[in-house]
Amino acid sequence: MIDLLHAELKRTWIQFIRYPTEVISGIVIILAVFYGLFTSAQYIAGPGFAFGDRLDSVVLGYAMWTLIISVNNDIAINLQIEAETGTLEQVFLSPYGAPRVFLARAFASLALRLLILIVVLLLLMGLSGSRLAFPPILLLPLASLLMAGYGLAFLLGAGALVFKRVQQILGIFQFLLLFLLAAPLEESMGLIQYLRFLLPMLPSTGLLRDLMARSLGLDWFTYGLALLNGIVYFALGLFVFRWAEATAKQRGSLSGY
Amino acid sequence: MLDARDLSKVYGRGKQRFEAVKQVSLTLHQGEVLAFLGPNGAGKTTTIKMIAGLVRPTQGRVAVVGEDPHRQPRALRHIGAVLEGNRNLYWRLTPEENLEYFGVLRQVPRKVAHRRGLELLARFGLEEKRHTPVQKLSRGMQQKVAIAVALIHNPKLLLLDEPTLGLDVEASEMVKALVRQIAQEGRAVLLTTHQLDVAEELSDRVAIIRRGRIIAEQSTESLLKEFSSSTYHLEVEGDLSPQQIHTVTQLGATVQGTQITYAGTPENLYGLLGALSPVPLVSVQRDRADLTQVFLKLVKDQPDTSL
Ligand SMILES: Nc1ncnc2c1ncn2[C@@H]1O[C@H](COP(=O)(O)OP(=O)(O)OP(=O)(O)O)[C@@H](O)[C@H]1O
Ligand SMILES: [Mg+2]
Repeated sequence: MIDLLHAELKRTWIQFIRYPTEVISGIVIILAVFYGLFTSAQYIAGPGFAFGDRLDSVVLGYAMWTLIISVNNDIAINLQIEAETGTLEQVFLSPYGAPRVFLARAFASLALRLLILIVVLLLLMGLSGSRLAFPPILLLPLASLLMAGYGLAFLLGAGALVFKRVQQILGIFQFLLLFLLAAPLEESMGLIQYLRFLLPMLPSTGLLRDLMARSLGLDWFTYGLALLNGIVYFALGLFVFRWAEATAKQRGSLSGY
Repeated sequence: MLDARDLSKVYGRGKQRFEAVKQVSLTLHQGEVLAFLGPNGAGKTTTIKMIAGLVRPTQGRVAVVGEDPHRQPRALRHIGAVLEGNRNLYWRLTPEENLEYFGVLRQVPRKVAHRRGLELLARFGLEEKRHTPVQKLSRGMQQKVAIAVALIHNPKLLLLDEPTLGLDVEASEMVKALVRQIAQEGRAVLLTTHQLDVAEELSDRVAIIRRGRIIAEQSTESLLKEFSSSTYHLEVEGDLSPQQIHTVTQLGATVQGTQITYAGTPENLYGLLGALSPVPLVSVQRDRADLTQVFLKLVKDQPDTSL
């Protein structure tokens, strides 16, 4: 499994780095967005205020948004492309089984995107003199957030396996994600207060707001629920992915579209 | 090695329902090459993918070295495959990187995958191209890399779906030579092709499929024999005397200059040869059907049982 992860990291990295123009344009876009955040946070709409209006929080909001979108895109779009070009079947010939391979791919993709992001952030911090500070306890809700995010990635991957065309879904997904990251449903009353635990990522983003914007401590009971939410969506994603795999094999549609 | 029993595949439902493969059974032993032949749309690719665990059979079962790739992903360790179409590789990666990546994907430890990858590249004559992205290689080289990748985990069964498609004569020869070597190493090879000369040269056995059903399966040699007539063609050097021509004609042969055609029994051939003495012989040849003739005859002659 370590070898598999290593191999996926290497493949992702080589495919990324082989065409420098793509690398540069990708980095320039991220750089521009975050440069905007650093210089005039308040003028950029989007998930910027998801976790409060301090620079740290704005950056965190954008970072999570871009990370989850890019990991989801990587999984779903690459699945679609590989089905069209034919490498997908070779991947499904792996004795590891497809879910494990795609999990490794999701990690590799996260690692790559995170690396780019960190490089960009360090660069901007150097340029602007601003400092970002994140309490280590953030890692806990981030972990449950990412788990649910991976679950969504597998759901989209399953969609790509069965329906082949996923661009439109991915477009809609960006807005859905905006809602999941930024809607402060933890402030609402009544039924929604409970229902929010059923939606992916919402409990984790609520906790991040507690920590970043409201300077509250981590409520361990709520965190337990957030973690459960992450685990359930992750498991659901895997389950649906397996179903999609079986369906594609049934239809004989792993390759082509 | 391979034991596939009664494989059937139905695609679609209702009006779209289509039975692509019907009750196909195939077995393959160590070191054996089976050519799987059939017209377009006969169900070859579907069968191969069912064996590789990529298409789920509607009925029947597959065992590769005793394991079912549909139930136990572990069974895939025994299977290497180069599938139809031209993309079995990551085009942005070099041959060396592809080999290492797919090696690990097939559960070979990374270091071993790297070493075996280099060995395979050397063996396939691709050493100087090992750092060129696959995208920039010729079609023949890409195909060789794809075969190398299919061998990286040392599989016992190799599935090749149209391995010589789109290759020029020289590249085809290379691929043929490789397939022969691979079988000699003791692997079982199942290959499909529309180039019947390739099949004839490489295969120990042929299976012919038509409209999803196997219509012939036997050793290549015996199939060719069965379809060969017992006509002999002889060629002599110099002219026969009128006396010799008379005797030969009486034995049932026809003479045209230095060419003699004889359709008798093999035993009586010796009488004929005696009568020709002492004129030097250039060649004695028995009419031999080639696989193309056999194939066309089988595929056309069969009564249509499928409808
Ligand atoms: N995924 C699928 N869904 C529906 N029908 C399919 C599917 N795949 C193949 N078929 C049909 O099944 C039949 C057999 O196809 P298959 O690809 O196995 O043929 P083949 O023998 O490999 O042909 P070729 O020599 O052209 O490669 C064809 O009629 C094809 O249209
Ligand atoms: Mg085919």
